[in-house]
Amino acid sequence: MIVAQNLTKNFGKVEALKDISFEIGRGEIVGFLGKNGAGKTTLMRILASYLSPTSGKVLIAGKDIARHSLFARRNIGYLPETPPLYTNMTVREYLKFAARLKDIPPARLRPSVDKVMDDCRLRYVQNRLIANLSKGYKQRIGIAQAIINDPEILILDEPTSGLDPVQIQQVRKLMKDIEYKRTVLLSTHILSEIEQTARRILIVNRGKIIVDQSVKGLLGQYPGLTLEDIFLELNPPQAERADD
Amino acid sequence: MIKIFTIVQKELCAYFKSPIACIVLVVTVSVFNIFFYMIIDQNREATLRDVFQVMEFMFVFLVPLFTMRVFAEEKSTGTMEFLMTTPTSNTAIVVGKYLGSFLFFSLIVSTTLVYYLVIEYFGHPDRAATATGILGLWLEGGLFVAVGVLASSWTRSQVIAAISSYAILFSLYFSITFSKYVSAPAQEFLQYFSTMTHAANFSVGVVAPGDVVYYLSGIFCCLFLARISVENRLWR
Ligand SMILES: Nc1ncnc2c1ncn2[C@@H]1O[C@H](COP(=O)(O)OP(=O)(O)OP(=O)(O)O)[C@@H](O)[C@H]1O
Ligand SMILES: [Mg+2]
Repeated sequence: MIVAQNLTKNFGKVEALKDISFEIGRGEIVGFLGKNGAGKTTLMRILASYLSPTSGKVLIAGKDIARHSLFARRNIGYLPETPPLYTNMTVREYLKFAARLKDIPPARLRPSVDKVMDDCRLRYVQNRLIANLSKGYKQRIGIAQAIINDPEILILDEPTSGLDPVQIQQVRKLMKDIEYKRTVLLSTHILSEIEQTARRILIVNRGKIIVDQSVKGLLGQYPGLTLEDIFLELNPPQAERADD
Repeated sequence: MIKIFTIVQKELCAYFKSPIACIVLVVTVSVFNIFFYMIIDQNREATLRDVFQVMEFMFVFLVPLFTMRVFAEEKSTGTMEFLMTTPTSNTAIVVGKYLGSFLFFSLIVSTTLVYYLVIEYFGHPDRAATATGILGLWLEGGLFVAVGVLASSWTRSQVIAAISSYAILFSLYFSITFSKYVSAPAQEFLQYFSTMTHAANFSVGVVAPGDVVYYLSGIFCCLFLARISVENRLWR
């Protein structure tokens, strides 16, 4: 479903990604782990075709996203690291705007918006201005716009940051519901979350993929250790550098 | 395309919800009213030619104030990341945003219709010259808005966007005043380059194809460059 080939990304002198390649099949749920500044957000931005890589390419369903950008964007729901919200709109206005930009036909606008508001528990605030909502609600609106058109692929950058435990459970349930039907890539700093939702782990460190394994396989490789121990082992704190 | 319409609608809503745009609208209209009164009181003539000239001059300062947010705001709040990852073509984004601002600008220009009614009531204005004057003002403003949109596509800071549009608009508008300091071919070029030259024709009732082409190609050029800037994320 998603193939990344030799991706590199430089921001001036900073090498954010260094020759990253991987393949993700249909229906997989993949968790991206890595320290702050490892390159997770940059990688997701490239996959969502917001940034173009310095070199290398990405194929979505066999098509190069550099040339079939609209096709790729139609099939990807993307939640950026900071939820991209127009604070002067109400929740309903915003979701409607998102639905229209995502090619949902006019007749289905209302049902789609209603459905996604139910899924993300936004009904109660539907007519409030986004500017006045709490962080968790903003995050939920971000998730709602990503899933509103039922895309084949979901790319979620720290989807559960700022959510309360009930909502985190809800997001996990959502992942479970769409498992095997949709391809999901998520990044997070909550390791237990990866253990519960993802089937496969990619650990990124300084722009390189250092682990690409199933969760079970990784845990089996280091018997007796938790995911957190393994993560700390692979990303020793003394390796912290100024450019991280 | 439907998406252009969606974006136009969103842009217009954003204008009416944001305080800056409403202040611009109120201030502009009041300032124009004062000038209208002063000019008519002084000239005792039923013509809007001088009013148009003042308005044209004011637009150089006003337009960047409401176009600066067009792209810069989206970039600084991160909504650009949303807009550019939805299946919306860059052309639709640029054209939609331009039309949104242009419609808002048209609203300001449409207040001049009231002035026309006033002079029509009290005198016998040259109707054709007034109509072409408004058309000229409208086209010229269309170019100013396009320049503002282009400058906004370069940066994530609204202040920088406003300053760069001022730089471009000043050189466009005032280039004619420098023409006496340069040699003949350059003089001709500067005269052609200046928006003032072209607007002057409209205000005396002459609609020359050359002037229309000047404005339309200017608008097209700015939007084309804005599209390139959006497509290549040149603001980084
Ligand atoms: N627009 C940019 N300009 C310059 N450098 C950038 C830019 N975006 C990211 N970087 C650099 O790229 C590297 C990777 O950043 P990225 O945001 O991808 O990290 P991350 O893994 O998402 O971190 P976090 O866990 O904090 O979200 C960092 O060194 C960062 O400074
Ligand atoms: Mg990140």
